[in-house]
Amino acid sequence: MRAYAEFAVKKFRNQTAYRMDCFMGILKTIFSFIVYFSIYKALYGGRSDVDGITLNMVVTNFIISLGLSNAFDFNEMFLPDKISWGEISNELLKPVSFRLRLLSEHIGESIFKLVFNFVPSLIFAAFTIGMMPPSSAINMLLMAISAVMGYLILWELSFIVQTWSFWLFSVWGIIVMKNVLVNIMTGAMIPLWFMPSMLRGIISFTPFESVYFTPVRLYLGQISGSEIAVCMINQAVWIVVLFVIGDIFWKKGTKKLVVQGG
Amino acid sequence: MDELKVMAKALKMSFHARMQYKADSIVATLAVFFRESTGIIVIYLTLMKFDTLGDWNINELLFLYSILFLTYSAVVVLFADLRDFSRMIREGRFDRLMLTPRGLLIQLISNNADVIAAFGHGGLGVLLFIVSASRVGITWNFTTTIYYISAIIGGILIQGGMFVFFSSLSFYFVETNSLRDIFYWQMRRFAGYPISIFGKFFQTIMIYVVPFAFVNYFPAQYLLRKSDLAQYPELYIYVAPLVGVVLYTAAYLFWRISVKNYKSTGN
Repeated sequence: MRAYAEFAVKKFRNQTAYRMDCFMGILKTIFSFIVYFSIYKALYGGRSDVDGITLNMVVTNFIISLGLSNAFDFNEMFLPDKISWGEISNELLKPVSFRLRLLSEHIGESIFKLVFNFVPSLIFAAFTIGMMPPSSAINMLLMAISAVMGYLILWELSFIVQTWSFWLFSVWGIIVMKNVLVNIMTGAMIPLWFMPSMLRGIISFTPFESVYFTPVRLYLGQISGSEIAVCMINQAVWIVVLFVIGDIFWKKGTKKLVVQGG
Repeated sequence: MDELKVMAKALKMSFHARMQYKADSIVATLAVFFRESTGIIVIYLTLMKFDTLGDWNINELLFLYSILFLTYSAVVVLFADLRDFSRMIREGRFDRLMLTPRGLLIQLISNNADVIAAFGHGGLGVLLFIVSASRVGITWNFTTTIYYISAIIGGILIQGGMFVFFSSLSFYFVETNSLRDIFYWQMRRFAGYPISIFGKFFQTIMIYVVPFAFVNYFPAQYLLRKSDLAQYPELYIYVAPLVGVVLYTAAYLFWRISVKNYKSTGN
């Protein structure tokens, strides 16, 4: 376990070397807040609420979901590149689990971005655009836990697609398509409250809904009582299901690789 | 004329180079197409709920977006080398061009055309234009057609001029990517929407600093005349196609001055 923590710490430290990138990242996040805030301000056109959703709630939704999506962003071509350059066989010989190492490194990177991208952008947004406070301290805590689970779901989705590079010549195009789906269906770019109801129905059967929207709703206190448990169990179930799928692809892929290399 | 021949030749070469890997290029083009569609799908779904953004309905917004994609697809054909210019300087590849008996800029323009981005963005631009153009109430006659074509050329020159300008900065500074990222790529995200929805600060930037407003907003307004046009001098919609010519000329002169400053990074 210590080795993996070390991987995360190392990656975290690594990030501190790119100060300009960090600054640009903050600016990028703030600009996305401003773009979506301006769009929704114009869409609301002075109305106090639409279907019971106030402009302030929409803005809070964007700050959390866009902020997290920027912080959770990582290099998805890592495994595909290792495979196409043939470096994967060296990686598999090392006495650490490649998957856990990958996850710890990405966690290290994301923690860095949470602290040095999400938090500064959030503070900026809270003072300029305006953001709702969490409905209670407990809700804040639940949101944090739920956001971590959302991260794992996102990571596993990405990992599954990355493993396809064991079979496919190039997965870049598929990763791009996956991200189109993720960006639309998670509600990072359109709050799921306003999604056409048919699409919303479909999304509730996918893991996308629980990536950012569950944390947002917990933060706003839109979910209460036993429904909280249902939503969080839903997230946990997706984590397990996606892990199993990823595991199958990974095992088949590495097995195939050994055959090919033999 | 000779220059044009060189450009045509360079274009043909970059196209052939890309088509070496046909399947890969087609998948990549589709990926670019879908990636760029994300914003369009989102705005479409959003307007299913809200009907209008300010005074603009969905077809008008798609028309506004289409100009951005169409111009960009030509920009990546003509100015791809300038888009990635600081890398070229860093790797010392620029020195080689100085030894050939041709103008420097002309060798860069249309060289290494990004065919994939061109088809991805261009395909989306054409699709959006076809979907929206007939539904936004534009009467296509001689004047509007000529205006539209010159506005597109103007939009290409504005963005090309920006690339020439940022490339010229590479002669003074080693690292210019961040500057370009803020002023080109980040501002471009605002350009998909009517500028009137943004605060005064960003409107000013979009009109006078990084004039994306003249790439799509003012040209679209000449044809659509939405009510928010009243906030700006009406003159702007008439001069929109000329802004590109002025900006590109200025950028070219700046390039001419700056290139004298060039000291190779190589040894």
